[in-house]
Amino acid sequence: MTATEQQAAGTLSGPLRAALIEKLTALADDEIILAHRDGEWTGHAPILEEDIALANIAQDELGHAGLYLELRRALDGSDADQLAFFRDAADYRSARFVELPKGDWAFTMVRQFLFDTYEALWLDAARTSTYAPLAEVAEKAFREEKFHLQHTALWVERLALGTGESRRRTQAALDELWPYAAQLFQPVPGEAELVAARIVPDLDKLRGSWESFVLPHLTGKCGLTLPDAPADAGAGRDTHTEHLAPLLAEMQSVARAVPNAEVW
Amino acid sequence: MTQPPTPHPDTQWPRWEVFKQDAPGRPHQAVGSVHAGDPQHALVTARNVFVRRPAAVSLWTVREADILTATPEELGTRPEVLDTPGEAGTYHVGLKRTHKRSMTFVDLVGTVEASGPGDALRQAREAHPDALTWLVFPESGVVRTDEDPGTVESWFAPAKDKTYKQQQYYGVIGRHIGELKREGLMPGRAKEGVQE
Amino acid sequence: MTQPQLVQPGETAEQHAAFEARIGRGEKIEPGDWMPAEYRRQLIRMISQHAHSEVVGMLPEGEWITRAPTLKRKTILIAKVQDEAGHGQYLYHAAETLGISREEMLDALLSGRAKYSSIFNYPTQSWADVGMIGWLVDGAAIKNQTMLAGCSYGPYSRAMVRICSEETFHHKQGKEMIVAYAGGTPEQRQMAQDALNRWWWPALMMLGPHDADSPNTGALAGWGIKLKTNDEVRQEFINEHAPELLEAGLTIPDPDLHQDAEGNWKHGPINWDEFWAVVKGQQGLNRERLGARREAHEDGAWVREALEAYAARQVGQAAD
Repeated sequence: MTATEQQAAGTLSGPLRAALIEKLTALADDEIILAHRDGEWTGHAPILEEDIALANIAQDELGHAGLYLELRRALDGSDADQLAFFRDAADYRSARFVELPKGDWAFTMVRQFLFDTYEALWLDAARTSTYAPLAEVAEKAFREEKFHLQHTALWVERLALGTGESRRRTQAALDELWPYAAQLFQPVPGEAELVAARIVPDLDKLRGSWESFVLPHLTGKCGLTLPDAPADAGAGRDTHTEHLAPLLAEMQSVARAVPNAEVW
Repeated sequence: MTQPPTPHPDTQWPRWEVFKQDAPGRPHQAVGSVHAGDPQHALVTARNVFVRRPAAVSLWTVREADILTATPEELGTRPEVLDTPGEAGTYHVGLKRTHKRSMTFVDLVGTVEASGPGDALRQAREAHPDALTWLVFPESGVVRTDEDPGTVESWFAPAKDKTYKQQQYYGVIGRHIGELKREGLMPGRAKEGVQE
Repeated sequence: MTQPQLVQPGETAEQHAAFEARIGRGEKIEPGDWMPAEYRRQLIRMISQHAHSEVVGMLPEGEWITRAPTLKRKTILIAKVQDEAGHGQYLYHAAETLGISREEMLDALLSGRAKYSSIFNYPTQSWADVGMIGWLVDGAAIKNQTMLAGCSYGPYSRAMVRICSEETFHHKQGKEMIVAYAGGTPEQRQMAQDALNRWWWPALMMLGPHDADSPNTGALAGWGIKLKTNDEVRQEFINEHAPELLEAGLTIPDPDLHQDAEGNWKHGPINWDEFWAVVKGQQGLNRERLGARREAHEDGAWVREALEAYAARQVGQAAD
C-alpha cells in the first residue's frame, strides 16, 4: 500500500468509504470469476496460439483484481487472498454474467468482448477519478483492456462471419449472454454518492457509450441479431447463479484444506 | 518456400514469420512464427506469443509464402533460387551474420528495389557477401503495428509489469549455491562416465 | 568421424565429411543447407517429441489452475502453463523448418504414433505436486535444454535459447513453493514430502535410459545434436538438487543416495521396468492425456474452419 493510497483513504467519509469498499469488491469479484473461467481454457483451446492468448487475458484480469483489492486494503485492511478464498458464494459480489460456465469458444469470445468493452470504457472514465489511487489503477489497467478489446472484437467478427456453424454458435452465445450483460451496469448500494463525488464513473452514461460501441459491431459489422431482453438487470450482486458455489468450492479447496497456513 | 506441400488439408492455418523490434533504433529481428488466419489476426497473435515478456516497441508479420531465404551453400547447389520470380517493388533484406548462440534468426538491415524476390536476394548477396543467411520479402507483404504511443502502451508496455515471470522476482531461495559448494555439498561439475 | 552406416543412398561420404567438418567448426546448420537425411529424420523425431512433451505437459499442472490457493499462485501457474504452450509453439516452428507441417506432427501425437516425455503420464495428486514439478521436472528439463541450446541445428538451438531464458522462472517458482511448504504447517510439510516421494524417481528417469541402453546417443553426439550423455546430464541434475532438497529439510526417497569421493551424489538403482511401462503407455495417464488433447483439437475444429472461411472471404472480396 503506497503512502498516497493511505492518505487518500483517510480523506473519505464513512458512507463513501463503505460504498467504495462495496464497489471495489464487485469490480474485483468480476475479474476473479472471469479469470477463473478463462483459466479453464489453458491447455484446451482450439489452437496453440489461442491457449497463449487466453492465458494472457486471464493473467491480466487477475492482475486487475489484485489492483482493486489492494485499494480495498487501504480502506479496511482486508487481505486479498482471505477475501478470494475464504468468502462463500453469498458474500461474493460478482455479476451473474461472469459466473456462467465457459461454454464453447464463441461463448467465451462473445462474453469477453462484451466485458472488455465495458471494462475498457469504465477504466477510461475512471482515469479522471477524484480518488487518486483509483485513477492510477485505471490508467494502468486501461492499457491492457484496450488490447483485449482488439483481440476479442476481432474474434467475434471472424466467428460471426466464418462458417454457418460458427455463425450459429456466435448468435446462440449472444442470445444467452445479452440478458445477463445488463447487470454490469447495475450500481452497488451507495454508488450514487460515489458518482456524485466523481470517484467512479456514472454507469448510466457508460451504458450509452457501451451500446454505441457494441451494437454497431455486433449487428452492423458482424451481422448478428440482438435478442429481446429486458433492460432491467434484475436482482442485485448478492444474488448468484447456481454455477458460483461449485466454482468457489473447487477454487477454494486447496486454500481451505490448510486454513492456518501462513504462506501458500 | 523450400517446403513440400502437405499431403492433406492443413487445419493449422497459414504460418507467418514474426519480426520484433526491442527498442527504437534497433533492427527488427526474426523471432519465430505464428499460425494465424489472416493478417490482422497474425499481428495480434504475434503480440500474444512473443510479447509475454519485455521488450518490444514494434512487430511485423509476413506470410511464410512471401519470404525467400538462402544460405551460401544453398546458392552453390541451387543458383536458380536467384531467379525466383515475383512482383517488382521494394523488398526488405534480413541477414544472419554469426554462428553465435542466439534466440533470433536474421536482423532486418534495410530495403532494396528489385524486379522480384530472386533479384532482391541477388542484391542482398552482393551488398553483404559474408552473410550466413539472406532473407527477403516484399514491403507489400508486411503487416505492422501502429507506431503511435497509445498502441505501444497497450500492446507492449504491460509486459514490463508482469515481473512474476522473471526469475529475478524470486531472488535467492534457501542458502546460496556458493555456500553449498564451499561446504562440499554441491560439486562444481559432474564427472564423466558417472554410472556406478 | 564419419558414420558410414548413416550415409544413405544418394549421399556420399564426402558430403558427410564436409557436413561434419562444418559442425566441428562450430557452424550452425540452417534450413536450406545440405544435411544427411538421417540428421533431418533424427531432428524431426527429437524436436517434435520435445514439442509434444510441452503441449501434453500443460495438462497435469493445468488441472490445478482452478485450485491454486492464492491469486498470485494462480497468476504464476497460468503464466507457467502458458509458457509451455509457447515452448511447444517455438519447437513446432523449429521442426517446421525441416519440412514437416504442424498438422502432420499433431496427427502423429493424437493418433498415438508419436512419443512424448512419459513424465507427464504421472498423475498430479496434490497442490504441492505443482511445486515439485517446477523444481524437479523443470529442473531436469533445464539441464537438457541448456545442452540443446548449443546444438548444431540453428532453428532448434534458437528455440532452446529462448526456452531456457523463460524456463528458469518455472524452476524458481516451484522451488520457492516447496521450500516455503517444507517450512510451513505440518500438513504443508507432509504435502511437500509426499510430492517429493512421488516425483524424485520419475524426474531421474525422465533424463532417459543409461548410456549403455540409449540407442540414439552415438549418432546424435557425432552430429552435435546431443552434446552430453543421459548419465552426465542426470549427474548434473542430482548434484544440484540433492543438497538443495536436503537443505529444505526434506527426505529424498533413496536409501542408497550418497556422495562419492569427488562429491558427486550417487543414486541407488532405478526401477526401469516402471519407466518402460509408463513410456509404452501401459501405466499412467497416457490415454487420458491424449484424450484431453484430442478433445481440444476436435472441439476446436469448427473454430479453425471459421477463421479459414473468414480469411478466404476477405481474399475474395479484395479480388472483386
